[in-house]
Amino acid sequence: MPVLKNIKAIAKGMSITFMEMFQPTQVENYPDGPGPLRGARFEERYRGMHVLQRDENGLEKCVACFLCAAACPSNCIYIEAAENTETNRVSGAERYAKVYNIDYNRCIFCGYCVEACPTDAITHGHGFELASFNASNLIYRKEQMLAAAPAHMGANAVFNSADVAGGAPALPVQGS
Amino acid sequence: MPDVTLTVDGKKLTAPAGTLLIEACKSAGIEIPSFCYYPNLSLQGACRMCLVKIEKMPKLQTACTTVVTEGMIVTSDNEEVRQARKSMVELLLGNHPLDCPVCDAGGECELQDMTFSYGAAESKYMEAKNHKDEQQWSPVVFFDRPRCILCYRCVRVCGEGMDVWALGVQNRGVSSIIAPNKEDHLECEECGMCIDICPVGALTSGAYRYKTRPWEMKHVGTICTHCGDGCKTTLGVRRSDSGMEIVRGDNRDKSGINNDFLCIKGRYAFDFAHHPDRLMQPLIRKNGKLTPANWEEAFELIGKRFAEIRDHDGMIGVVGSSRITNEEAYLLSKFARVVLKTNNVDHHRTADFPALAAALSGKPDSTATMREVYDAPAILLIGNNPTDQHPLLAWQIRNNVRLHRSRLYLINSQTIKLGRQAAGFTQIPAGTEGKVAAYLAGDDAAVEAIITEKNSRETWNALREKLRGEQKLVIIFGSEIRGNDVAVLVKFGSGVHGAKFVCLADYANSRGAADMGLYPDLLPGYHRVADTGKFHDEWTSIPATTGLTLPEMVDAAKASKLKALYVVGANPIGRLGLDPFLFSKTFVVVQEMFLTETAFMADVVLPAANAYEKSGTFTNTCGDLQILKKAGEVTGTKSDFEMIVRIADAMGFDVHKLVPFGAGERTDMGQSRGAQSGEADRHAVWLEARGLEPKMSPLEPTAILDEIQRLVPGYDFSRINLLAGNDQHTTLANSGPGAIQKPELIVPANDNLFSSGTLGRYSKALHSVMESRTQQTSEVAAD
Ligand code: SF4
Ligand code: SF4
Ligand code: SF4
Ligand code: SF4
Ligand code: SF4
Ligand code: FES
Repeated sequence: MPVLKNIKAIAKGMSITFMEMFQPTQVENYPDGPGPLRGARFEERYRGMHVLQRDENGLEKCVACFLCAAACPSNCIYIEAAENTETNRVSGAERYAKVYNIDYNRCIFCGYCVEACPTDAITHGHGFELASFNASNLIYRKEQMLAAAPAHMGANAVFNSADVAGGAPALPVQGS
Repeated sequence: MPDVTLTVDGKKLTAPAGTLLIEACKSAGIEIPSFCYYPNLSLQGACRMCLVKIEKMPKLQTACTTVVTEGMIVTSDNEEVRQARKSMVELLLGNHPLDCPVCDAGGECELQDMTFSYGAAESKYMEAKNHKDEQQWSPVVFFDRPRCILCYRCVRVCGEGMDVWALGVQNRGVSSIIAPNKEDHLECEECGMCIDICPVGALTSGAYRYKTRPWEMKHVGTICTHCGDGCKTTLGVRRSDSGMEIVRGDNRDKSGINNDFLCIKGRYAFDFAHHPDRLMQPLIRKNGKLTPANWEEAFELIGKRFAEIRDHDGMIGVVGSSRITNEEAYLLSKFARVVLKTNNVDHHRTADFPALAAALSGKPDSTATMREVYDAPAILLIGNNPTDQHPLLAWQIRNNVRLHRSRLYLINSQTIKLGRQAAGFTQIPAGTEGKVAAYLAGDDAAVEAIITEKNSRETWNALREKLRGEQKLVIIFGSEIRGNDVAVLVKFGSGVHGAKFVCLADYANSRGAADMGLYPDLLPGYHRVADTGKFHDEWTSIPATTGLTLPEMVDAAKASKLKALYVVGANPIGRLGLDPFLFSKTFVVVQEMFLTETAFMADVVLPAANAYEKSGTFTNTCGDLQILKKAGEVTGTKSDFEMIVRIADAMGFDVHKLVPFGAGERTDMGQSRGAQSGEADRHAVWLEARGLEPKMSPLEPTAILDEIQRLVPGYDFSRINLLAGNDQHTTLANSGPGAIQKPELIVPANDNLFSSGTLGRYSKALHSVMESRTQQTSEVAAD
């Protein structure tokens, strides 16, 4: 009897619906949820906007080896290297990244750059609110991705626009 | 030598007796890893990377020192061999820092490659590594001791190859270290050969240091723009704010005539291109001041004034350059005659090519290539100091003597460094080179002028006899031999079996400028302006009277007769030390990279591209023709070729008649030579705006190459070979009759290793080396 068969199928489907109605909700209430993340939840391994890490002395870990740029399948990392001097020490090794840009128009968040980095300088943070009406805003500079400096270096220099090289507008580091 | 047959990995090979096993394997496509072995340097046997198994020999053998023998059975790769190589890598890494991320060699390091192929990346040592800070040995040479794997390549190339012997080994055994000649710094020719040859990142270049990575650059093989030798240099370029920036020069492409060699200029002196003083906008003199203007304005003004002056029979002078390409020199020569209707064309002459062309006319195979200088069984060098003025030539001669036992006869008024390689060095009183030529050619009376305390008549007699008995002698002469002396020397040469000539000129395309007729009395190919011939047919309306030489133009300006002067890439005011106000009544147009003394007083200055920023061809001092590829790019500049065409266009001249384009089937808009992106589009826009067919642009120098190949004798080269980057020899045998030039018009540039005319003035790399020299000498003087 096809009619009976259909009714049975509908009843089965509806029973699942009613069962789920009384389960705790799985839907994230982003962006209207509580807390700084406004309801968003992440897995630990979520690959969001990159963070350029510092070492225990607060120096930048990136040594401008260009390996991330070489690994990047969408070719969106741009680096200019420079040499550390006595008076201007930026990274722990001989050289550092004077310019480090990631073009988030093109980044596919694959994590290859993180995989390639020999000094664990580049990592994926949890920042994800990157959307913009202006594509040129999506080219992030080193200053925007750098982890906050530790307290002994004048905490969070990155929030202080006077300290940002080239007077770039200082954006708070997202996620991390 | 007879061939021997051996077996490597089951493959039967034959190689001439005396071949090294490593070379025999290489030619059969079997790679044997090596660090210390380098072709054409003495054998070291230091690194033990090349170990192979040879049957009937008890232990593994080093392939780099073993000579092939008949019936040898070799295994180049098995478990035992791999294990041995792995342990060699392990030992090398024992004290090697984990530096790859910051090391300049990363990505092109032989040790990295070996570690990848053989493993052993994990160290079994417990001890901390012995660190030593990096040292700066000279402005361009840095040394990082812990990275050194003691292969001694640098020591050998500096000593044997360069004959400088600035690097050496201190201590013995495990504590050996590479050390510079002046304790903590180097005093040497700064050629950078040691850096290039270092398999790891121990020796690094000051110019390229920590700038970028090999895979981040585009590598463009082009021809050095400094001396007249024509080395192929590979420029690494990266995008920058102002176009394409040249980040480094080296010779990773060893297909050029220079093989392994580059001197300091070819390797480091590309930085003039990015000097902050570089002109990037046309300048027009308004109210007595040079004011930035736009291109259209500039071309309009030049076109209007040039046309006016020409139509009122005003005198116009044209000064070309020895650093523009053949195409540009040809076009300039044609532009002057056909558009400006004048024969007043000249350039900075550094050698007497017209005299050589006249003397060699009808003698095929009588000029030597740069490669032949490396193979010739005997060489006679009269005048010049190649070590300073022609570094590649010096390298060729030196290594010919070292590797092929060539006999070098030197005749010079100075004791020059090549004397160390000479089989015979004969010092003569200054200025008597012409007498030497006369004496060699059989004029016995001429010997009086060259007899000195050391060299009696008998010595000269013996020398002449020896030279006459040589075969395939390459006769090289500097600008000391000029005018009639050239013909005399050629007369001597025709008595020696298979003798060939090299005439030394100082700039990158001096030979090309001469071949393309930047002379007041000669057209391309050394045809006289007065003789009717193919140029008259093709170009039509060439003024029949001989034009003015550069000094004559200056005189005309003094007499207020010169109405306009068109200077393409030259600086006559600076070079001749002229009064800058001399040309105040002349309409002066200068195409230059910088505000030189000449540009400074010009009425219009057009910012020009240099040889690294354009395509075209260069002919080196020997006559070897090579292709230039566009590497760098600076926005706001144009090639001289394009500017000449645009001026002709602005003068209302039919560009078709100047550059034959549209009909060419062998040419394109630059795709074949790797044009920069957008270049073809720019050509197309220009064509479209003028309603011309977009098949071929007149702004593309290749457009005129067909005409050069067709009309200039000796330039009937193969286009395929040219595009493939091979050097091709152009001969003078079928040239026009030439003309006797006034000897005083030839003024050698007298550049040394660290100077290079205007380009040198704007090169920080060359300056830093020269400054380090003067500082050090003054320190010594103060002691
Ligand atoms: S995540 Fe992937 S695409 Fe994005 S920068 Fe890294 S390598 Fe490139
Ligand atoms: S020399 Fe080679 S192996 Fe050593 S640090 Fe440099 S790149 Fe790495
Ligand atoms: S730069 Fe040249 S001359 Fe100087 S040490 Fe190196 S190889 Fe020798
Ligand atoms: S410096 Fe370089 S070339 Fe010289 S011995 Fe050391 S590793 Fe070899
Ligand atoms: S020898 Fe001459 S052509 Fe060769 S690199 Fe030096 S300056 Fe350039
Ligand atoms: S290459 Fe043979 S021992 Fe070094």
